[in-house]
Amino acid sequence: MTAIAEDDRPSSLWRDAWKRLRRNRLAVIGLFIIAILVIVAAFGPWMSPYDFLSQNLDARNQPPSGLHWLGTDDLGRDVLSRLIYGARTAFLVAVGVTVAAVLIGVVLGAIAGFYGGAFDRFVMWFTDMTMSVPQLLLVVVINASLKQPISLWMEARYMETLNPIWRNSAIIDFVLVFGSMALITWPPYARLVRAQVLSVRGRPYVTAARALGLTNRIILMRYVLPNAMGPLIVAVSAGLGTAMVLESAFSFLGVGVTPPTPSWGNMISDGLRVWTNYPHLLLAPAAVLAVVTVAFNFLGDGLNDALNPKGQK
Amino acid sequence: MTAPLIEIAGLSKRFDLRVGAFGERSATVHALDDFTATVIEGETLSLVGESGCGKSTTGFCLLNLHRPTGGSVRYRGQEIAGLDEDAMRPLRRELQIVFQDPYSTLNPRMTIGEALAEPILFHGLATKADLPARVTRLLADVGLTPRFANRYPHELSGGQRQRVAIARALACEPRFIVCDEAISALDVSVQAQILNLLLDLQEKYGLTYLFIAHDLAVVRHISDRVGVMYLGRLAELAPAGALFSQPMHPYTRALLSAVPEPDPKSARSRQRLQGEVPSPLNPPQGCRFHTRCPIARDACRSAVPAWREVATGHHVACHAVSAPDKLNWEGTE
Amino acid sequence: MTALLDIRGLTIDIARDGGPARVVDGIDLAIQQGESVGIVGESGCGKSLTMLSLVGLLPNRIRATGGSAMFGGRDLLKLGPKELRKVRGSEIGFIFQDPMTSLNPVIRVGDQIAEALIWQKGLAKEAAQARAVELLELVGIPGPAERARAWPHELSGGMRQRVMIAMGLAGHPRLLIADEPTTALDVTIQAQIVDLVRELKDKMQMAVVWITHDLALIAGLADRIAVLYAGTVVEDAPVSAIFERPTHPYTRGLLASLPTLAGAAMERLPSIGGTPPEPGRRPPGCPFAPRCAHAVAACAEAVPRLAPVPGSDPRHRVACPVMTERAAA
Ligand SMILES: Nc1ncnc2c1ncn2[C@@H]1O[C@H](COP(=O)(O)OP(=O)(O)OP(=O)(O)O)[C@@H](O)[C@H]1O
Ligand SMILES: Nc1ncnc2c1ncn2[C@@H]1O[C@H](COP(=O)(O)OP(=O)(O)OP(=O)(O)O)[C@@H](O)[C@H]1O
Ligand code: SF4
Ligand SMILES: [Mg+2]
Ligand SMILES: [Mg+2]
Repeated sequence: MTAIAEDDRPSSLWRDAWKRLRRNRLAVIGLFIIAILVIVAAFGPWMSPYDFLSQNLDARNQPPSGLHWLGTDDLGRDVLSRLIYGARTAFLVAVGVTVAAVLIGVVLGAIAGFYGGAFDRFVMWFTDMTMSVPQLLLVVVINASLKQPISLWMEARYMETLNPIWRNSAIIDFVLVFGSMALITWPPYARLVRAQVLSVRGRPYVTAARALGLTNRIILMRYVLPNAMGPLIVAVSAGLGTAMVLESAFSFLGVGVTPPTPSWGNMISDGLRVWTNYPHLLLAPAAVLAVVTVAFNFLGDGLNDALNPKGQK
Repeated sequence: MTAPLIEIAGLSKRFDLRVGAFGERSATVHALDDFTATVIEGETLSLVGESGCGKSTTGFCLLNLHRPTGGSVRYRGQEIAGLDEDAMRPLRRELQIVFQDPYSTLNPRMTIGEALAEPILFHGLATKADLPARVTRLLADVGLTPRFANRYPHELSGGQRQRVAIARALACEPRFIVCDEAISALDVSVQAQILNLLLDLQEKYGLTYLFIAHDLAVVRHISDRVGVMYLGRLAELAPAGALFSQPMHPYTRALLSAVPEPDPKSARSRQRLQGEVPSPLNPPQGCRFHTRCPIARDACRSAVPAWREVATGHHVACHAVSAPDKLNWEGTE
Repeated sequence: MTALLDIRGLTIDIARDGGPARVVDGIDLAIQQGESVGIVGESGCGKSLTMLSLVGLLPNRIRATGGSAMFGGRDLLKLGPKELRKVRGSEIGFIFQDPMTSLNPVIRVGDQIAEALIWQKGLAKEAAQARAVELLELVGIPGPAERARAWPHELSGGMRQRVMIAMGLAGHPRLLIADEPTTALDVTIQAQIVDLVRELKDKMQMAVVWITHDLALIAGLADRIAVLYAGTVVEDAPVSAIFERPTHPYTRGLLASLPTLAGAAMERLPSIGGTPPEPGRRPPGCPFAPRCAHAVAACAEAVPRLAPVPGSDPRHRVACPVMTERAAA
């Protein structure tokens, strides 16, 4: 007897990819950890046992205990609470930086790859330039040269409006950190997208779209880009992890998110100064960062396999 | 019905390649050389010839999908060879092509319905409200049910994809279609259905076809005129009846004698072409067929035979043929 | 003699949201060593999926759910991916239907063939590359040494198809499965390929399963023809019997649709009216009944089974009680 299938909903490549992803244990673990990160980032303030800022100078540098599961830092702040709040920073930085970098990369890479010519040469030159400058140097320079003017400008706005938002130093931090990190992380995305677009541009279905008389814009948006995005998704997943590490590195150099806003990076850099005496202050944030970064990489690898079904067989 | 739709003169296309173990040498593929013919409005002109002889290249160059290396293509008097993409775009709807390899010419991320809707909406051939009916109608024309609109190309069989490719070309309501092996993956019953559809459309709207195929029975059935190509050149061009009843070029005759018959008894004895098959990377001097021609002479090895009209509408490029019914010499060598 | 490949009751289902839809519905097909069998059938009837199931290359969400396919003492349907990989190429050569999408666009065609040889035959790189050029020459590609360095998109449709053929033959398989391998080849090259395959068949006792719509071509190549319709074999007979005494109404319809060189030009060809039932929406009883001119009430009730045709070749079997009865009368 033949089963009657009434529902002919199309099976999309994405749904198939999702099925394959679910079968990949590491990728599922990665996804799980990332899900926890997202939840913690979203609801952290309601979950953390203490306020991340509240200092308890009587209980400084305490080792892990029943009261403070991960101990306290040199100002007596609860490490677990700071980690939880730091998840929000880490997540914001990772997503913000990556979104900005990917946007720059996709726009430049797609246009360069699709149209070629002088613009392409310019973009490639610009990409090479950006990549050849040492990243940290660039960030330090950007920070050093922009922090002052931006603070002054914000102070002026405050004087004008008396709106306290202009005095929130966290905003300067985020803008600067996002901006400068996006400015150094876009080139790989641009290169990747350009290479993909170049190869997709030559596919027969693009020629077919041309034969239909469609405009370049439609061909780029509907025929080229959707088919060029697979590897980008993989790169983005890994890039999110990288952005978190980068933020920590910057905090370590003192150009990241400034204390007291907790970020895993500045917790690590604080912890590093005292780690011989109070190793938990270093280990806790370092471990969390490592786990999350690895999770993103697992997910990236899993996506890579899931999106390339042929490579699995 | 004898107005020329497309006049092709001296059309040629060369591809430059890098060869050698490290790509250190460059080579040129002479894919198409000095192709001259006129496509008449409302006719079916077929192109046949050996695999790799430049049939698809001819189709691509006609539609300016490959930029021709030389020659001219005039569509209704307007020169289109080498027009840039923007100038070409307004003509694209009228000049369609069904590609030889349908799977790779369908966007893997678009359902069949989306793929068919795209040209219809883009060219304003139906309103949004009429669109589903239009898509359904197109699918029905090529023998597919409306449910195929929801499927992706990878969920179709080879013949179903090929029919989608045909439907997509028809969606543009074109005036001229290059059908490049457009029915080769279809079973004979569906093939008959598609051929009938093409003939109906031709009758109703005066469509013109450039029909590239290797199945000579189909070619014979559908064509007004047939061109035979060999290694990038036209060897013979004649009304279909004359070509099949009175082939003149030695290659055409060899080709026709190789046609298999749907009969297991007769099939086992066929004449084969002897001699080395030349490569378009390095085509022979003179007549390109001379390395395999049973009646080739010295003249054939040095001079390119002229493109002559030996009977009304019957063109041949062969030193040995200057009048119908008679060879200038017989195959004695 | 036991058959080289013995497919029994093969069923293949497509997983859909509303439940599985059956594409291949109980195919029985046996292929002897050195035999060549032509498979013809309506577009979309499951020919490609049947063959892909034998080598474990069914697309996602499509599975062989029943039956068996014995090949050299093993059931191909039960082999794991590793074993199947070994079977592919070295024991079963496969020529895919879509050359452009089956070739890797970023590897030169010579290297693709060589890769297969290195993997299947353990050849050294140089030897494999030399053999690849030989194979290209064997399938009639002029200038094979230069062409080995071409990218797939630089070849004509027919050349790509011949590259696929070369890859299918590369491992000297015992069974060659060719899925419409010559749709883009002109008659002279077709003849050359048919000769080549026939030679290998005679010399190495290679068995061939050749899916095609070209009835004229298959007439000259196959010993036997199986006609598929809607996922089942509806007629299975020696070549001569198919052409002399086509019995199933679908087979008859196919042969009637054939244009011939002698036929009148520009006339409408007869085609079988209606459309084939889609997988998952097949009628009970004979799947051809809705389109069949000879259908009687009983046709819509029971699925007909293959039965010998009285008065024809003893190996001529057809799944149509109406026609077998008529032949007996
Ligand atoms: N990945 C898929 N998902 C869903 N349906 C599919 C998929 N692949 C094939 N089908 C359907 O299964 C049926 C059988 O497909 P198959 O490719 O075996 O046909 P075929 O006999 O080879 O036809 P053709 O001669 O046109 O190549 C078709 O109706 C097709 O639409
Ligand atoms: N993009 C390309 N780059 C290099 N060479 C090419 C390209 N396209 C086609 N060729 C070459 O041009 C010649 C003619 O190819 P074409 O595709 O026109 O042949 P065809 O007559 O359509 O053959 P078939 O019947 O096999 O499809 C071939 O030798 C082919 O290798
Ligand atoms: S010109 Fe000479 S070689 Fe060419 S086809 Fe005629 S006889 Fe043969
Ligand atoms: Mg071609
Ligand atoms: Mg198929």
